[in-house]
Amino acid sequence: MVAIDDGFEALLEPFYNGKKLTDPISTPEDKYQLLPAFLKVKGLVKQHIDSYNFFINQELKEIVKANRLIKSDQEENFWLEFTDIRVGTPSRNDFSDIKTRNDVTPMECRLRDLTYAAPVVVDITYSRDRKKIIRKDIQLCRIPVMLKSAKCYLNGATNAQMEIMNECPLDPGGYFIIGGTEKVILIQEQLSKNRVIVEADEKTGGVSASVTSSTHERKSKTYVVLKKERIMLQHNVLVEAIPIVIVLKALGGMSDYEILKLVAGENARYQDDFLINFEEAAKAGVHTQQQALEFIGVRVKMGGPKNKPFSMSARRSPVEEGLDALANIIIAHVTIQGLDFYPKAIYIAMMVRRVLMAAQNPKLVDDRDFVGNKRLELAGQLLSLLFEDLFKMFVNSLKGNMEHFFKKPNRTSTYDPVGPISSQGNYITMGLNRAIQSGNWTVKRFNMNRAGVTHVLSRLSYIAALGMMTRISSQFEKTRKVSGPRALQPSQWGMLCTSDTPEGEACGLVKNLALMTHITTNVEEEPVKNWIFSVDAGVEPVRKFTGAEMHSPGSYIIHLNGTPYALTRYPKRFARKFRTMRRRGYISPFVSINLNEHFAAVHIATDEGRICRPYIIVKNGKSKLKAEHLKLLQLGKAGFDDFLTHGVVEYLDVNEEQDTLIALYEKDITLSTTHLEIEPFTILGAVAGLIPFPHHNQSPRNTYQCAMGKQAVGAIAYNQFNRIDTLLYTLVYPQRPMVITKTIQLVHYDKLPAGQNATVAVMSYSGYDIEDALVLNKASCDRGFGRCQVFRKYTAELQKYPNGRRDRMGGRDKLDDGQIISKHAALDDDGLAIVGYRVQSGETMIKKETPLDQASTGIGTDRGPDEFRDVSVNYRISDPAYIDKVLITNNEKDSAIVKVQTRQTRRPELGDKFSSRHGQKGVVGIIVDQEDLPFSDMGVVPDIIMNPHGFPSRMTVGKLFECLTGKASIIHGRPEYGFGDAFRSHPAESMGQALIDHGFSWQGKDYFTSGITGEPHLAYIYNGPIYYQRLKHMVQDKMHSRSRGPRAILTRQPTEGRSRDGGLRLGEMERDCLIAYGASQLLLERLMISSDGTEVDICQQCGLFGYKGYCQTCKSTSQVTQMTMPYAAKLLVQELISMNVGVRLQLEDEFPHPK
Amino acid sequence: MDYGTTNPDEVIKHARIDKTPTVKISHSDALRCKFELKDTTMDFANTLRRVMLAEIPTIAIDLVQIEENSSVLADEFIAHRLGLIPLNAEGVKKLKSSRECDCDEYCDQCSVTLTLHAKCTGEENMQVVARDLVPAGDRLNDHIGTPVITDADGQGPLILKLRPGQEIKLTCIAKKGIAKEHAKWAPSAAIGYEYDPHNKFHHLDMWYEENPKKEWPPSDYATWEDPPDETQPFQFDAEPTTFYFNVETAGPLAPDAIATEAMEVMMMKLAGLVNELTAGEGGSGANGLESPGFGGGGGDGWQDGYTTPSGFGAGGGGNQSSWGGGGGVTPYGTTPYGGSGAPSW
Repeated sequence: MVAIDDGFEALLEPFYNGKKLTDPISTPEDKYQLLPAFLKVKGLVKQHIDSYNFFINQELKEIVKANRLIKSDQEENFWLEFTDIRVGTPSRNDFSDIKTRNDVTPMECRLRDLTYAAPVVVDITYSRDRKKIIRKDIQLCRIPVMLKSAKCYLNGATNAQMEIMNECPLDPGGYFIIGGTEKVILIQEQLSKNRVIVEADEKTGGVSASVTSSTHERKSKTYVVLKKERIMLQHNVLVEAIPIVIVLKALGGMSDYEILKLVAGENARYQDDFLINFEEAAKAGVHTQQQALEFIGVRVKMGGPKNKPFSMSARRSPVEEGLDALANIIIAHVTIQGLDFYPKAIYIAMMVRRVLMAAQNPKLVDDRDFVGNKRLELAGQLLSLLFEDLFKMFVNSLKGNMEHFFKKPNRTSTYDPVGPISSQGNYITMGLNRAIQSGNWTVKRFNMNRAGVTHVLSRLSYIAALGMMTRISSQFEKTRKVSGPRALQPSQWGMLCTSDTPEGEACGLVKNLALMTHITTNVEEEPVKNWIFSVDAGVEPVRKFTGAEMHSPGSYIIHLNGTPYALTRYPKRFARKFRTMRRRGYISPFVSINLNEHFAAVHIATDEGRICRPYIIVKNGKSKLKAEHLKLLQLGKAGFDDFLTHGVVEYLDVNEEQDTLIALYEKDITLSTTHLEIEPFTILGAVAGLIPFPHHNQSPRNTYQCAMGKQAVGAIAYNQFNRIDTLLYTLVYPQRPMVITKTIQLVHYDKLPAGQNATVAVMSYSGYDIEDALVLNKASCDRGFGRCQVFRKYTAELQKYPNGRRDRMGGRDKLDDGQIISKHAALDDDGLAIVGYRVQSGETMIKKETPLDQASTGIGTDRGPDEFRDVSVNYRISDPAYIDKVLITNNEKDSAIVKVQTRQTRRPELGDKFSSRHGQKGVVGIIVDQEDLPFSDMGVVPDIIMNPHGFPSRMTVGKLFECLTGKASIIHGRPEYGFGDAFRSHPAESMGQALIDHGFSWQGKDYFTSGITGEPHLAYIYNGPIYYQRLKHMVQDKMHSRSRGPRAILTRQPTEGRSRDGGLRLGEMERDCLIAYGASQLLLERLMISSDGTEVDICQQCGLFGYKGYCQTCKSTSQVTQMTMPYAAKLLVQELISMNVGVRLQLEDEFPHPK
Repeated sequence: MDYGTTNPDEVIKHARIDKTPTVKISHSDALRCKFELKDTTMDFANTLRRVMLAEIPTIAIDLVQIEENSSVLADEFIAHRLGLIPLNAEGVKKLKSSRECDCDEYCDQCSVTLTLHAKCTGEENMQVVARDLVPAGDRLNDHIGTPVITDADGQGPLILKLRPGQEIKLTCIAKKGIAKEHAKWAPSAAIGYEYDPHNKFHHLDMWYEENPKKEWPPSDYATWEDPPDETQPFQFDAEPTTFYFNVETAGPLAPDAIATEAMEVMMMKLAGLVNELTAGEGGSGANGLESPGFGGGGGDGWQDGYTTPSGFGAGGGGNQSSWGGGGGVTPYGTTPYGGSGAPSW
């Protein structure tokens, strides 16, 4: 493979702490270098890409293989088989052989509102006139391509190639482009499939074991419930719970004694607890397998499998029903071969045993929130679910098409499936596109209906986009008032970021991956099965044993993906040997093995979606990572995968982690240590990794920063000026933070930063700095501090109508004297704004015109008017902007689209929001002239003055450290001190020493003189550079006032919201205040006169509304009076009348006339 | 400083220093100038500092007419960068302020025109630097408006970079202005200011952990003043009279010129003020330029709502020598109001 410049090379160079290549390597200091090596092959967004690649290269073929054959019911000789399926490279939809270039870049898709998709082709063989016809490369459908996946042009592209494609080399990829918008399929968290979970019901005291079986055919959940000391089996397909002994009897071939042994073994307590269940069977009169099957068959829900054709002979007997249910529906993932139900019996017995154990010892219930019991579903898995469903539908509709053809009594031609395949395949394309576009994942077979699976990739800042790629959304309902799923779980350590979660509703439910997390893809079971028997002597298939043998003390059952598979008497030896084989590379590194002494079980997992991360292996108290390994790494002669196969590092999933003793630092290693952490700061994710000294901050502050880092204005991507985003904020002078972390380098935040290093003085000044307000230096703002650009997109599509008419661009309107009207001042001859022109509010940017006649057929006399109506796109914001770009192109529907981008440059103003990297946000309270600001003896004037009251309650000590470290590093010169990594930062003493060495106070405080009086400040002012982020919330976008303006049509009340020039609402609580105060006239004015007061005529005789002084009901004018009332009240009265509720208004004088 | 006294006569007496201020320059080169200002008050010293920072007229690019810009940077981005390039301000005094000039928009009398035209024709990216800014048209002298270039290569600050094929063509209009309006007109980069190296006035509390002598290394100016006599009682009403400045230039003016310019600006401001006041005393508008509300108010009118520049009343006596006749004793100086010398806030 070509060496890809992905920016990690420089990091592998050992310049940390000023080290050179020739300097000696110390493993505890330099082992972090494994991290960039890891990120090169795995981690962050690579999981999305790996998962998608797995889907494209393997799952897709499997799905087609499972549904390969179509046979006609009408024509017996006809058959069609899909022999292969392949995904091509992304191409334009209007593919044709004539065109020289059909491949499409992601950038083109973004700009032209296309879908970045690749054609999927199939090979088929089918019969025609008893001959076998083979056709290859028939286009089936188009599948959206994940950026940077194996099929994407960006995969493996060098920086130079990326530049040609107008792509940013730092872009993480891992998302899709559907109709020009970037869509991410979020990682979905759910409870693991095919594993038994034992839970206690706290109310009833009952214990239940449940398992969600998931196979390609169906998903179902089976429960084994202990209720009133009796154990029952529950399943959706069964009308009622069935006593467990009946189920076990139905599985056949076991005497009561054998059943007892299989469940309870030799343990007398379990036997006692279980014995009662035999009575249940006896009471039901079930003694034989036949009786048991009948008992179950009767209780199987009617209908059975739906897609059975009705040609099948009459209804099946209860015994058959029972057999079918047991074989295929209940615990479907344990497959039955040749009516041998013993494995399923073992499985159910295991569940029963777990229930009995949990009933005896409540500690043995499982924890749903334990990360090891969870699986993460990625884009590839979700797509494969969807594709499988769509492909099955496609096969059905293709078959329908076929049958329709063969039904014809006298056919003129032979059947050619190529045309139908391509036309029916279009439904797959549409289905996939629609699902990713809308985020609604609907798979009817599994009753799956999930909304909000996909999100638009947030491009507010680079870190926002990156944060989105690592986000995990949970399937739990947000309304449930249990804290468990939201709480920080100890097993999240190192796997999920401890800080990055939103506040409020989704707190703890939306999580983020930590830096070194990897999510497994499926590993084939077969080779692992072989290894289980060959790796250690004395491992026998569990199939061969009776319950007594299985549960005899010292026997351990080896479970493969949760299913009992083999039996061993030497579990530790087995596990050790198994691990050795894995470390040597014979078994996939992502297969995990762990022992469970409580259940006497060895668990081996090969399934997908497990969370794991790498560790350094420690043996006999010695780390396997040696200096020479790091040397090889630096020289580029070894990569992470080499270390993996050489047994230096290995991946552990959360379950296997439980069997280990992991040392945090090399100095902590003892003889019993099994593993060593690669880097402690990988406990945090990419977004939390931006924070310097996070280990010195109060924890919620780090969480706040994680939310705010995503709102920071800065550089988005290298191609930011080539993109046309709906809304794009960029900083004019973004700076690399003075104090950085390793994570910042790893995620390349230093190349696309979002903030500036401001010299901050911590002191109070002017009183305009209360409540976290900041004082800004005017000269700093003049020189470009916080200056940002705002780009906005305006689009228009020139549509075509069925009657042949189409939208058009209009020319400029002119006054009588030939002068162009001011509204069209920015327009050019073509009706589009001129690049570089300044547009004011109300001016037209795109003069689009649409035909009045859109509905007529245009045939004969049915022609509408030939006029056009102006539907131009106008600039509506009160502050002017410049036209930055104009794009005219065609979209997929082949209609022209016009995109106009405007640009504004803004300097900080009063009320703009800023934040440091420690969850300390504040608005600009005052902007002060430089000469009025305090200055140090060296003439240093701060850019920002921050009020010290921000510190005591927030406890953001990290910010103080950042300031000190930053100051030391600017005074001393980089890169000696500029690191603020979590758990490995430089000690503050060395910073202080550096300051002292250069004649400063070690505390970071300086002597400041007031700029106003010229006197020194009595206190020494803590000052230094702190990285400040400008947040996207700006006064200009928010400020709003209204004296009069538009009203809503229905209620005649003022409209709502700034965008509609709405009024400011005097709400209920404000109203309450006024009532309490007794300001009745003010209330009247606010609620009626300034809102929807209307003059109405009311007839005092009938109490109904009159009109123009005349009452229609009473046919008189005598009793009609006028009054003012809210229009909404008038509306209510009339609406009530309209639904036959009588309403009469009775008026009386509040101050009756003295008679 | 003690602001406690309210009796105006006492304040004046108290603040007045009967000597003429003197300036002693200890170091001066192209970049910085260090001098000692003696026999004056803190108000005056700080005023000088503030004027040096904010009110010395210099010249900077204020208008940019862009003809061609195919670079990656937006027009206003480049305009902002151009504005911040220091231009030589030699003889800027003779340049008219464009707001007062009779011309329509700008002319040779009130502005300097610079042009920039660069196109990248090579294979490599091209750097457009301040040196590429070419003064055009008639100038008051040969130096005014020329970009200040101090780096060894003689390139000057980088304006932008061009990729092959990109072009930039623009005309800049540099105008006279002061840093109060925009920091681009600031002549100085940083101004150090200190007094009382031995902390005789106890304006500092010199917080220390173990040993104040060790932890507070003496300032460079400590040798310039006598150490405090420990035997003498503390002079609680003493005031600083000697100030040490360290002026660093950003390039438009020589560092010592910044100081002298600042004095001149101060004098002009005071002269203008005094002129107004004396004119107001006479009851006639001296030059008819001021607004009626200002001039017509007479002796009493100005008192409501007009704040005086601080330090005038106190420093006036010793400081007006160069300005000349009669100005030192103004009716203003004798009013109880103006004499307090208190800062406006």
